[in-house]
Amino acid sequence: MRLSLLLSLFLAIPAFAQLRWDTTEQSLKSKPGDREVVATYRFTNTGTTPITIDNVHTSCGCTTAALTKNEYAPGESGQIVARMDIGSRTGHQEKSILVTTKQNPKTPTILRLIADIPEPLVMKPTFVMWGVGESPKPKTIYIKVTDGFPIKLLKVDSDNPDIKVDVSEVHPGVELEVHVTPKDTSRPEMATLLIRTDYPSDNPQTYYAYAKVK
Amino acid sequence: MTALQQAGLILLIAVGLAGATAAVHPKRPPFLVPPRDSNEVTLAQTKPWAGNILWVDARSESEFASEHIPDAVCLNFENWNEQFPKFLDRYNPGQRVVVYCSATSCQLSREIAAKLKSSGVDETYFLEGGWEAWKQQNRP
Repeated sequence: MRLSLLLSLFLAIPAFAQLRWDTTEQSLKSKPGDREVVATYRFTNTGTTPITIDNVHTSCGCTTAALTKNEYAPGESGQIVARMDIGSRTGHQEKSILVTTKQNPKTPTILRLIADIPEPLVMKPTFVMWGVGESPKPKTIYIKVTDGFPIKLLKVDSDNPDIKVDVSEVHPGVELEVHVTPKDTSRPEMATLLIRTDYPSDNPQTYYAYAKVK
Repeated sequence: MTALQQAGLILLIAVGLAGATAAVHPKRPPFLVPPRDSNEVTLAQTKPWAGNILWVDARSESEFASEHIPDAVCLNFENWNEQFPKFLDRYNPGQRVVVYCSATSCQLSREIAAKLKSSGVDETYFLEGGWEAWKQQNRP
């Protein structure tokens, strides 16, 4: 009877147990200015036969996953390096990487990359608009540095002299009201507003807002 | 250990393994899929908006270049600062914006819709079934 119990337990253990992962989930936090988040997933072939990783599929086009080679002998270790392009992403991000082996093609291992991408400043809204012919009254964009970020808002410029900005400092360097006014609204106009900061010191970031008459 | 206890133990282990698989499997049954987001719309729901809808393609630029919903604009996180002004060229306040991506499991359309909303585009939704759903219903 004990033998039948052991046999049942053995059969119930999924075959993918052959690859043992140090961890299948990585939680990372990026800094302002970072271009990517990199996570490494180490594994060991704990089985008695070689194993071939024949497919590594990521859930997002923004994430790549690199493997140095495909075949691993018993006892051999390897790693998958996943890179998520941050782009303009902010907040909580979860991406998956599906790893399929030739030996167990129907039971992929799911690796999770969890990234917390802080939003250094909040802008509401990020654009203002007027219709052609609408009264050219000022519209306001609120900008605030997220608590805990050592960022100073230095300056806001418009790249179009026909759309002016007037900045009121609610709390100098950390909270601003940007009043945007078109010279006139008789014709379409567009301006990019450049919000200049001092952070990070080696590569100070500029953020963008937009004003448009259309 | 009696035969009954052994059977109970085997059942317990099997249920545990099945539960773990159901929690992480990409093709888990629908009853385990999270409830639908209120900003998710079906193609049928977008039909009455014809004429006042701006489609946003959240896929890569190369996928967009290959094929897209007519009059859609390309907008993704990789090129947001370059593409957002082009989005504004096409967007009019009051218009409904529907973001789509390439598959039902794609999170991009949901994420782009959330970013547009936080940018000040109030009426923003994302399409259930994404590009494939649109393509299936608009075959030549």
